[in-house]
Amino acid sequence: MKYNKIVKRNEFFVVLILILFSILIQMKSGQFFTPNNLVDLARSITVPGIMACGLLMVIASGNIDVSFPYTAMLCMFLITDYWSKVQYSGPVIWGFLLAAFLGAVLGFINGILAAWMKLPTLIITLGTCTIYTGFTQGVLKSHVISVLPEPLEQMSKHNLFTVADSASGLSSSMHISIIILLIAIISAHFILKYTMLGRGIYAVGGDPVAAERAGFSVAWIRIFVFTFCGMLGGIAGLTQVTVSGMCQINFFDGYEMTVIAAVVLGGASISGGNGNVFGTMLGVIMMKLIHNNLILLGIPTSWSKFMTGALIIAGVSMTAYKQVVAQKRVNTNILADGEGQ
Amino acid sequence: MKKLLSVVLVLVLAISLLGCSSNNSPSEQAPSKQTNQNASEGKDTYKIACVVKDMSDPWFLRYKVGVDQLAQDSGIDCYVKGPSKTDSAEQIQVIETLIEQDIDALCVVPIDPEACKTVLQKAKDKGIVIITHEAEGNDVCDYDLEAFNNEEYGSKMMDKLAEAMGETGPYVTMVAFLSSTSHNQWMDAAVARQEEAYPEMSLVPEKRIECEDNMDMAYNKAKEIIKKYPDIKGFIGASSYDAPGAAKAIDELGMTGKIFAIGTGVPSVSGPYLKSGSNPAVLCWDPALAGQAQVKLAVLCLQDKRDDIKTGLTLEGIAGYDNLVVDGKNIYGHAVLIIDEDNMGDYDF
Repeated sequence: MKYNKIVKRNEFFVVLILILFSILIQMKSGQFFTPNNLVDLARSITVPGIMACGLLMVIASGNIDVSFPYTAMLCMFLITDYWSKVQYSGPVIWGFLLAAFLGAVLGFINGILAAWMKLPTLIITLGTCTIYTGFTQGVLKSHVISVLPEPLEQMSKHNLFTVADSASGLSSSMHISIIILLIAIISAHFILKYTMLGRGIYAVGGDPVAAERAGFSVAWIRIFVFTFCGMLGGIAGLTQVTVSGMCQINFFDGYEMTVIAAVVLGGASISGGNGNVFGTMLGVIMMKLIHNNLILLGIPTSWSKFMTGALIIAGVSMTAYKQVVAQKRVNTNILADGEGQ
Repeated sequence: MKKLLSVVLVLVLAISLLGCSSNNSPSEQAPSKQTNQNASEGKDTYKIACVVKDMSDPWFLRYKVGVDQLAQDSGIDCYVKGPSKTDSAEQIQVIETLIEQDIDALCVVPIDPEACKTVLQKAKDKGIVIITHEAEGNDVCDYDLEAFNNEEYGSKMMDKLAEAMGETGPYVTMVAFLSSTSHNQWMDAAVARQEEAYPEMSLVPEKRIECEDNMDMAYNKAKEIIKKYPDIKGFIGASSYDAPGAAKAIDELGMTGKIFAIGTGVPSVSGPYLKSGSNPAVLCWDPALAGQAQVKLAVLCLQDKRDDIKTGLTLEGIAGYDNLVVDGKNIYGHAVLIIDEDNMGDYDF
C-alpha cells in the first residue's frame, strides 16, 4: 500500500527521469558524479530555484506570471546602479530587503490588475513585463555594470566551502547565495503546507467560485501570490549579480519559459490547484541538467535548442500522461457510480 | 472601485505620454540651436553629424570623446547624436531630424543597416555625404569604413591565443549566435590561421559554442567544455562576453594559468580577468579613432578629393587608419587594438 502510494506520486516519475538522465551523462562523459559537478549544479539552480518558489504559488492558484524575470532585472539593475553611484559600503542585507520590497511592489501591481480588473493574467503580465523592460532601458538607462559596489563585490567572493576533483584537478566553490535559496524553499513550503493561506491558494486554483463560497477572499489571495512572486523575483535578481560578479540586463532573457517549464515538470498543473515545493525543485534541477549538460552529452551546438525542447516535452509528457490516466480512472469511477472506489 | 481604478489608469497613461514627449523635445531642439549658430558664423567649415547606436553605452561615449576632440583640434563642426537606448526606430528618428537641419555629411553607426536604407537614401537625395561604420556591404552610402577586415582580426586573435597556449593543445571557438555573420567570419579566419600556422593546436569536436551575448551563458558553457575536455588549453571568443565569461569559469574551477581565453573584449568588462591572467589579452578597436576616421573621410568627400580615396590612403593623425584598403565602397583600416594588463588603464570603455 505504502509502496503503491509512492509510485503513484508525481515526484516519483521526476526522480526516475532525473536518475536516468544523470546516468546517461555519467556514461557519456564520466563527469557527472564528481563532487565539483554536483556543487556546480547546486550553484546553477540557485537563481531559477528562488524564482520557481514564487511562481509555484502563482501557478497553484490557477494564474500565470511571465513578468518575474523582468522584475528581477529591474530590481537588480536599479540597486546595483544606485549603490555604484552613491558608493554605498554598508551591510549587503539592506540591498536584499530593498530588492524584496521593490519586487513586491511590482508584483503587487500585477496582483491588483489580476484581482480587480479580472483580466487574464497572461495578458497582464505580458504587458507589465514589457513595461518593466522599457522602464529599465529608457528611464534607468540600463548598461553593463562590471565593477560592483563594495558590499555586493564582497558577497560575490564569499564561498561556503570548496571541493576538488582529484582526477581532473577541477575545483568548485559553493556560493553563499545557496542560503537564500534554502530560505525561499522553506518559506514557500511553510506557507503552502501549514497555513490557511496555503489552503486558500490551492482552493482558488481548484475552483475560485467554490473557494469564495468556502470563505476565502479570492481577490486577496491573488494579490498575495503575485506580490510574493515579485518579491522573490527581486531577491533572485540581486542574487544573480552576486553569483555572476557583474550586472548585465539580459541575464534573465528566456527565464520565464525555463522556470514555467520547471514548475510544470515538477508536477504542478498549469490549470492550478496542485503542486508542491519538493516537486518544483526537482523540476528546476531537471531543467538545469538539460540546459547545462548538452555539451557533456556530445550534442552539437546547432542542435542544442532542438534537444532542449525535445527533452522538455519528453519530461513533461511523462508526468502529464500519468495525470491523464488518473483522470480517466476518476471518470470511469463516476460513470460506474463509484463502484471502483 | 473599478471606476477609480480606470481613472487612475487613464491618468497614468496620460502622464507617461507627457513624459515621452517632454523627453523627446530637448534632443530635437539641441541640434537646431547649433544650426543657428552655424548660420551666423557663415559657411567656411563643414557641418558633420555623427549618429551612434546608443548614447548610454560606454563604447559610444568613447566615440563621442574622439569626435569632440577632433572638433576642438581641427575646427570641423562635428558632433554626436543618438538614441538613448539601442532602438533602431528611435535611431532612424534621430537621423530624420538631423537631415532636416542642413548638415553637409552624416556619419552613421547603424543598429540595423537594412532598416536604415530608406532614411539614408533620403539623405543621399538631399546631397548629404554618408559614411557608415559597422555596416559592411551596405550600399546606400558614399563609403563604409571598417576598423579592420574580418580575416585580419580573426587571425590576430589566433596569434594571441597561440602565444598564450604555447602553440600547442586543444581549443574551442565561441560566438554570440551561429547566425551572427561577422562573429563567424572572425572565427573561420581564426581557425584557418591555426591550421596554417599552428599545427600542434587542435579544435575540439564541438567546434563552435553559442553564448547569446550573455556572460552567464558563456560562463556555463565554458564550464561544461572544461569538464568534458579537462586538457583543453584555450577559448577564443567573438562576442565581447565570451572571453570574460570563459575566464570566470577558468578562475572558479581553479585552472588559472593553465587555460586561457582570448577574444573580443573591453577593459570595463574584462578588467578583473586581464589582472588574473585568464584573459591574457582582449582585442577590439578604439571607437574614438573610428569616429575621427569617419569624420575625416567625410571631409575628403566634401572637399572633392574623392580621387585620393583609393588603396594606400592614409588618414593623418589617426593610428591604424594608414595605408587603407579600398574595395568599392568598403574601406578597411588596420586598427586592431590589443589590450592587456599593461595598457588597460588607458581605455575607459
